[in-house]
This record gives sequence, C-alpha cells and structure tokens, in this order.
Amino acid sequence: MLNRLVKWARIKSPWILHMNCGSCNGCDIEILAALIPRLDAERFGVLLKGSPRQADVMICTGPVTKQMTERLRRVYDQMPDPKFVVVVGQCGCSGGIYTGAYGVEGGVDKIIPVDAYIPGCPPRPEAIADGLIKLLAKIEKGGSP
Amino acid sequence: MNSLLAVVYLLVFPGFLFLFVASLFGQYLDRKLYARIQRRVGPPLLQPFADFVKLLAKEDVVPDYADRVMFTAAPIFALTAVFAAFLYLPVVASVGLHSFQGDLIVVLYLLMIPTLAMFLGGWYSGNVFGVRGGMRVASLLFSYEIPFFVALLSPAVLAGSWRLSTIAGYESGHPLAIIVSLLGFVIGIIALQGKLERLPFDIPEAETEIVAGPLVEYSGRRYALFRLARDAELFVGAGLLAVVFLGGPYPILVSQPGVLAWVNGFVMFLLKTFFVIFLLILMKSAVARIRTDQMVSLAYKWLIPLALVQITLAVVLHSLGGLL
Repeated sequence: MLNRLVKWARIKSPWILHMNCGSCNGCDIEILAALIPRLDAERFGVLLKGSPRQADVMICTGPVTKQMTERLRRVYDQMPDPKFVVVVGQCGCSGGIYTGAYGVEGGVDKIIPVDAYIPGCPPRPEAIADGLIKLLAKIEKGGSP
Repeated sequence: MNSLLAVVYLLVFPGFLFLFVASLFGQYLDRKLYARIQRRVGPPLLQPFADFVKLLAKEDVVPDYADRVMFTAAPIFALTAVFAAFLYLPVVASVGLHSFQGDLIVVLYLLMIPTLAMFLGGWYSGNVFGVRGGMRVASLLFSYEIPFFVALLSPAVLAGSWRLSTIAGYESGHPLAIIVSLLGFVIGIIALQGKLERLPFDIPEAETEIVAGPLVEYSGRRYALFRLARDAELFVGAGLLAVVFLGGPYPILVSQPGVLAWVNGFVMFLLKTFFVIFLLILMKSAVARIRTDQMVSLAYKWLIPLALVQITLAVVLHSLGGLL
C-alpha cells in the first residue's frame, strides 16, 4: 500500500536537472523548447530544478569531454536516490561524430548508468517529451530501482 | 470530553490536518492559475501531494560540511512556527482556537520565524550558494518586514485593539474601515509577496544567479518540510490579511450560534483568503524579478512612507472618535 503510494508519487513528480557535458548547445535549446508552454511539461509534474539535491531525473547532453568527466560523476553522486539519467542527443548516446576524438570520453553511459536514450542531432522537443514519458512508463513497470 | 474536543480542534479541523490540506491546495491553485495565465494546462490536482510524498521517500542526505543539528532543526522550526501562527486566526467562529489581547503581534512574530529559519538553514548548509542566499534572505527581511508591520497595525489602531477577532468584528460593524485601510491592504499584499519570496521578490533563490539560494543543499524530507512551511505560510499570511483587512469570518448571516453559523464563518474566511491568494498569484504572473537594491529602494522610498501615511490616517481618525 505504502509502496504503491510512493511509486505513484515518484511517477507523478519527476523533477529534472539539466546537465551539459560538452554539448554544442543544439540539444540544450531543444530541451528548453520541450519545457515551453506549448508542450507544458508541468502537466506531468515536471519541474526544472537548479540544484542536483532536489532533482530526480538528470538530463545529459553532449559527448562528455575529458574535463567534464569528473564533474559529471560528482553531480551524479550529489543527487539523492532514487535517481534516473536520460541522455539527449546522438553525442551523448554514443559519442556521435566525436567518436574517437582525443578530448572526449564518448557517451554518457561510459561514466554513469543511463536509463533512457533519446537519439537525434538534435532530437525534436516532442521526442524529448516522449522519451521522458517512456522513462516514467519504465519506472512504473519496475524496470529500474 | 471537553479536552478530547480540544484535541480534535487542534489536530483535525481548524487545526493541523486542515492546514496541511489547505496549504497543499493553495500551492495547487498557485501553480494551476499561474499556468492558465501563461496559457498552459498546468499540474493536476494531486500534484503538490505527489511532490510531498516523493520528497519524503527520497534518500536522506546531509552534506559533510553542514552542521547536522541546525541543518535538521531549521525546517522543523519553520513549519512549527507557521502551524502555531494558524491557531490564532479566527477561522470558523468569531474567535480563534487560542486568542488573547495582543495576538496580532504574536502572529506577526511567528510568521517571521520561517524567514529566519531559512537564513539559518542556508548558513549552516556549508555551501557558498546557501550562505549567499541566506545573506540575501536576511538583508531583504528589513525591507519588507517594516511596511508589513506598520500596515497591519493601522486597522488595529482603528479598532482600538490588538486582538485579531476584535479587529475583524470591528470591520464587520464598520465597513468604512475596510475602505479607509485600503492603502494598507495594498502595502500588506506587496510586503507579503516579499515575505513569501515569490516573484518579483524571489531574489534569495534566484535560480539564474545562485541555483536555489538557501535551500540549495536541502533534499528529501527536509526540503519537503521547507516547502510545506512555505505553502502554509502562503495560506496563513493570506488568512491574516483577510482577517485584518477584510473582516475574516464576518459577516455571519446566521443569527443563532451553532453549526450553521460556523459553516457560514468558515466559508467567508475561505473565500476571503483565496481572494488574497488570487491577488498574490496575479502579481506573481505579471512581473519579473527585481534586484536587491531595487527592492530596498522600493521598500524605503514607497512602502514605508505610504504605510506611515496610512497609520497616521488611522491614528487621526481614531482620535477624532472613530468611524461612524
């Protein structure tokens, strides 16, 4: 009973944190476009939070530069459990066109565990919103902690 | 039996459970109307409750650099003070749960404690953004608190009493008093907006500048308590303005004291309180954030002189023998 209530609350209120790990700003603009009044993410309970302590879902963009590796890990550790990671954009998913470049790690999932991938260069705002909904459906089915 | 009834009053109906539900509903109304004004759909009805439960169920984090005792005590103090302040408001009947000569001053001081708790919480969280936000909270305290106090004292001077129920009763007997203290009501609304740190006065937690201000290190249940304290402060502050300026639970149309009169007073109080909350939401959605120095000059150049004009008017009218 209590577990079901907590699970319901978790699905109904995913607060997001936007983390740029060396992106070209293309995906970041599209994430902002996914939060505009036209799509209205707040009807799903989504709030954009500035502090990682208050966020549940971290949205990462970019191929993770070497400079950013340590910071990404640290910000991930600052988030309290249960936490989820969504990667937006081709670079974050696999390294994209930067695969093999000397300055990048290539992919967020090489540093921290990732729950959902939203490919595209950049993905449309609708695709980002859809990816978030799919993550929530996955939590509901109990796919993740 | 009588003491059992008192416990029920305290914990369930006009007490804590009611305030919990009312403050969550106030937050819902705030977010929903804000969204509708921006032509969005807005959150569903149970959204604040879902946020609260989710935060309670999250991992408990205390940063290494934080002072554990103060870090934990600050949200509890904030919540306790607001809930205690609520007991003095005349919600259902003409007299609050607890009432004495001078309870207006007590409520004003209790409503100041959440701000101080937020300052202490930010200060002891061991984070530069938290300390910075705490400093902003403390420095803004001096700009809105003085006009708020002075504005709320003018109806008290008119009524010749420091007791909330007497002020409300006086206003129901003398409707002219509401018009005379209209200026004080406007000042009270602006100052309350600053007290609640909402737009345009959300300088302490300006997320574009200092992340989340004093609450930057707060997570999980402590953050939930702070959020609840803020929502309850919105409801109690609006209720205080409704009682002092708009006559609270009056006019009671039912002549016999009984359940019907209670319901009548309660509905009147809720209507007036949500009217004040509605004004606060309109103000929030119409303006953008101002700077610290702009807020201080707004308070000291406009709000305080106008509040002094208001209280002078009240004193003169009172010494001339009061209103008709």
